[in-house]
Amino acid sequence: MPSISHWGLFLCASVASAARLTVSIPSTPPLLPNPGTLPLSTHAVLVGPPGVRYDVPIRRDSTFVFPDVADASYLLTLHSRDYFFPPLRVDVSKATDASQQQTIQAWQTFRGNEWDNKGPNYGSGKGELQLQLQPSGHKDFYQARGGFNIIGFVKSPMILMALVSAVMIFGMPYLMDNMDPETKAEFNEMQKSSPLTGSGGAADQLQNFDLAGWMAGKGTNSASGGGGSKKR
Amino acid sequence: MFLPLIAVPLLLAGSALAVFTDEAWNVDYHYALLGHPKQSTSFFHQPNPSSRASLIFTLSEEGVLGAINPRDGAVVWRQVLLPGASAHNASFLRAGEGQDVVISGIGSQVAAWSAGDGRQAWSLDVNGPVEDVEILELVDGKDASGAKDAVALSGGDHPLVQRLDGATGAVKWQHQLGGTDAPYQVSASTTEVFAISLHKTILGYLKLKVTSLDPVTGHKTDEHMLSSENELATAETIVTVGANSASPIIAWTDSAHSVLKVNIMGTKGISSFEIEKHDGQAVERVELHAPYHLNSLSHFLVHYQTATSHWAEVFHVDLKNGKVGKAYSLPKLSGRGAFSTSTSDANVYFTRVTRNEVMTVSSASHGILGRWSVDGFNVAAGEGEEIEPIHAVSDVSVRGDTVSAVRSAVLLSTGDWVLLRDGSPVWDRPEMLASTVSATFASPAEMETLVQQLEAEAHSNPIQAYIHRVSRHLHDLQRLPSFILSLPQKIVQGFLGTSADGGIATDSFGFHQIIACATKDGRLVAVDAGNPDKVLWNQQVADLQPGQIWQPSVSSPRGGVIEISSKASAGVQYNASSGEQLASILPIDLAADQTAQEVKYTMHDGGLEATVDSSTTWHFMPTSGERIVSLVPRPVNDPVASIGKVLGDRRVLYKYLDPNLALLVTANDAARAATFYVLNTVSGAILYSNVHSGVDVSSPIASMLSENWFTYSFTAEALGDSPKGHQLVVGELFESLVANDRGLLSSTANYSSMQTGTEPFTLTKIYQIPEAVSKMAVTRTRQGITSRQLLAVLADSSAVVGIPYGVLDPRRPINRDPSKDEQAEGLVRYSPVIDFDPKWYLNHQREVVGVKDVITSPALLESTSLLFAYGLDIFGTRLSPSFSFDVLGKDFNKFQMLATVAALAVATFVVAPLVMRKQVNSRWQFM
Repeated sequence: MPSISHWGLFLCASVASAARLTVSIPSTPPLLPNPGTLPLSTHAVLVGPPGVRYDVPIRRDSTFVFPDVADASYLLTLHSRDYFFPPLRVDVSKATDASQQQTIQAWQTFRGNEWDNKGPNYGSGKGELQLQLQPSGHKDFYQARGGFNIIGFVKSPMILMALVSAVMIFGMPYLMDNMDPETKAEFNEMQKSSPLTGSGGAADQLQNFDLAGWMAGKGTNSASGGGGSKKR
Repeated sequence: MFLPLIAVPLLLAGSALAVFTDEAWNVDYHYALLGHPKQSTSFFHQPNPSSRASLIFTLSEEGVLGAINPRDGAVVWRQVLLPGASAHNASFLRAGEGQDVVISGIGSQVAAWSAGDGRQAWSLDVNGPVEDVEILELVDGKDASGAKDAVALSGGDHPLVQRLDGATGAVKWQHQLGGTDAPYQVSASTTEVFAISLHKTILGYLKLKVTSLDPVTGHKTDEHMLSSENELATAETIVTVGANSASPIIAWTDSAHSVLKVNIMGTKGISSFEIEKHDGQAVERVELHAPYHLNSLSHFLVHYQTATSHWAEVFHVDLKNGKVGKAYSLPKLSGRGAFSTSTSDANVYFTRVTRNEVMTVSSASHGILGRWSVDGFNVAAGEGEEIEPIHAVSDVSVRGDTVSAVRSAVLLSTGDWVLLRDGSPVWDRPEMLASTVSATFASPAEMETLVQQLEAEAHSNPIQAYIHRVSRHLHDLQRLPSFILSLPQKIVQGFLGTSADGGIATDSFGFHQIIACATKDGRLVAVDAGNPDKVLWNQQVADLQPGQIWQPSVSSPRGGVIEISSKASAGVQYNASSGEQLASILPIDLAADQTAQEVKYTMHDGGLEATVDSSTTWHFMPTSGERIVSLVPRPVNDPVASIGKVLGDRRVLYKYLDPNLALLVTANDAARAATFYVLNTVSGAILYSNVHSGVDVSSPIASMLSENWFTYSFTAEALGDSPKGHQLVVGELFESLVANDRGLLSSTANYSSMQTGTEPFTLTKIYQIPEAVSKMAVTRTRQGITSRQLLAVLADSSAVVGIPYGVLDPRRPINRDPSKDEQAEGLVRYSPVIDFDPKWYLNHQREVVGVKDVITSPALLESTSLLFAYGLDIFGTRLSPSFSFDVLGKDFNKFQMLATVAALAVATFVVAPLVMRKQVNSRWQFM
């Protein structure tokens, strides 16, 4: 009987001096509508001075409980397979006298910045602190391959050009056939006089290019072959 | 000032190196392992009291708690309770009848876990090592929540019995066990809680002290010593201290296993039974199997094992007069046997698994209720090795008076954990791989035979070589018909993209390498990296006593051969493909002996000593207060394609390449500093050194050295003006920092590190990383042309990340944007923070737990490096750090290519006459 009361007292004393930190994950739609879907391996790590490290797994109610944290300055990191969480700085400072409780304070901290550079406060408490931490992003592991996309394919300028020219090739004869004879004659006249396709035009010259004549040093002025129409 | 430095998103590198969706679950492989299951902590249990579906729970020797689906052997959930645990750690796992939690006890922690999904319900740190955990099955009637309380026994300076609330884990009462007796176990009957401790007599023998406690108040009601006379010399011969049952019992034997003594807990009488001798062989092991439920019949089975045979006896406890009597015995069978207990209502069934059969008997009578023959366990084993069951847990379905089906999860002597359903194996978990201590890649022996034949032809005279070649070709021709027959199928598979990579013999890419793993219990296990679903072979290579530790190192001295060596023995070689042991007399390779001189390193008085030809060449003594943490040499096979780095303006920075480099890490515990040295391992010269202060030397310091660069990471302490967290340092060694200049080495054709001491110019950069790196490795390719990736093991995320070198490059410009030339090199502006892009996670959504080391090996393709990570889990994948430039990947759509060709062909045939007609028409119309 005396032993029990002794140990009970001891337990009470240890409870009084223990700093208890509870981190809960609220529902944050649309990123994480249900924290119950967090994978089992999600865990929280408090890294303190050398050799001091607490690592607790996620509980049924999506919280992390550090039941007894010693006096120090800690880096709190939540590791989850699917989500990023911001790192926090947690300071547990000594009680001024035995009857007082430890003070726990938490701030956001920034990686790569000096330790005194603190962000927004996440709360402070005497002996106990409960804070909520929201995920900052979803982890996306996979790289999709640039697959074949028919719309993207059709949209490309090269294909558009090819399509337009195809329409011209197949559509022009029908267009010509459906024209009334007068317009047709006019069109033909226009074609002849156009510098590109008319007789003596660039295309015609190219097609009927007299290589032998050119090699022999004939100038374009001297009449030869298709070039003769120029003299007219 | 509020100045968050946001990491520059490294778009270029990030998009270039990632796990592709279509490769994610195909190229990589992963065994989610638990480790060796223990008999006492494995059982079938229904996670949801309302449903009949049960899971197999186990708390393994490796300290992993897990639930296995008995249907397919997949892990439903698992938790690593004590990383780095071994068989020496006492661990307990209990499940109350009709409870949705399982309660574990390991280290100094008692915790309850939701049986269905593995989330923690509560945990409690008892002040001292947990000696036993038990669930109080008795119902108070007051407790409406229905969660059954637990009783925990803890050791240490103040042994305690504590009753823990089943719903919250709060301590309801505690009782201190006074005196110097070692706490041993705790047990509960319907009315009492018993704490058993071991009392040492003056003569050195042990006596069992039973303390009875009131379960409601925790007050001591009785205490007595069992007169074990002078039988108990060690605690090892205590067979059992019965757990929850109608009448918990204590049983022990003498050290010669000649007599079995049984006491019903709470009484003082001891029943004594002679253990019969069979064939004059000594009984090696006595085990007791009893049901674990309060309302079961109080029957139990005692299993006797000799070197060659085993048998069992069933005892009944008479509750009225407190007598134990032998009911019947099960006949002796050769080999080892495993017994397991299952209950159905009050009935108790014993299932016996031997190498040939599975049979079930009722505890009431010796009539066999079900019998199934076992044709084999369908696991790989060594040649001539008899696979024996070590222990089993069973789930019996009873219909009427007969047993209609029995499922047994059996641990085999090969280390496999298999499930036998009515005697036939359903699944197999290679749990021996969870204790891998060393591993290596080796090319398959089949690939080597061709190489050897070609060599034989090259070294013989022309006529012989010609005959050899013709006969070889004739031999190959025999395979032609089968090849032709398989051709259509191959083509179809090729079009559909379903083609498998093929077997080891037809492996043209070098993906089918053999990975040999040496395990803690003295086995060598081989897995094919290209077809990892099955263990190729599994052999006992070392005969270890229980508790004996060996430190093997596995290597592949040449193709097709695996060599295993440990401190105690010289190397033994095995055929990589078959596991056959090769002749112990090795041919001595004269050529190799003449060219290379070995430098050996030994740790000596905390320092490092290098010897060449048994004469000491140099010493490295760390300064006082420092200890050597690790020494990482440059890999032996580390090909480098280019001796310089080509800059954007086509000039060259020459790399400092020396095959004899090593990175040495020392730590100073008092000053909290870590020092990093780059050493020349032949001359002992220190080429570079750096000290970091404020280092957490108790956390892992990972380091790596390859080519002309090194990297290490450590955890920095919090100081007001410096960042706290994990840091990664990269250094690169150059012959000079002036482009197109080789410094002192420019005029020399050859150089020796013994004669000239040229020092490299080193560039370093420090980066902040989000979490600690526990191990580092680097990708390796055949020629070293492909760019490299740093592989970092993240213990906290259970991941392996591949960090592209471009991200780490120490030449990243600081405080300015890169110039045009630097942009051409792919350099980006330095930012002090590297965030691990999830796309770098090689394991993507898989969780690779407990990785101790990562090994890499080049494939035959230059673009590809093979990776294998081991520790608890086994994980492997293929990496292409510079894309798969020499092989058509999955992104290459063969069907699309063929469709394009066909469409072009059709278009040509359709358009050709049209064009012809148009040309002819145009002549006639316009001329």
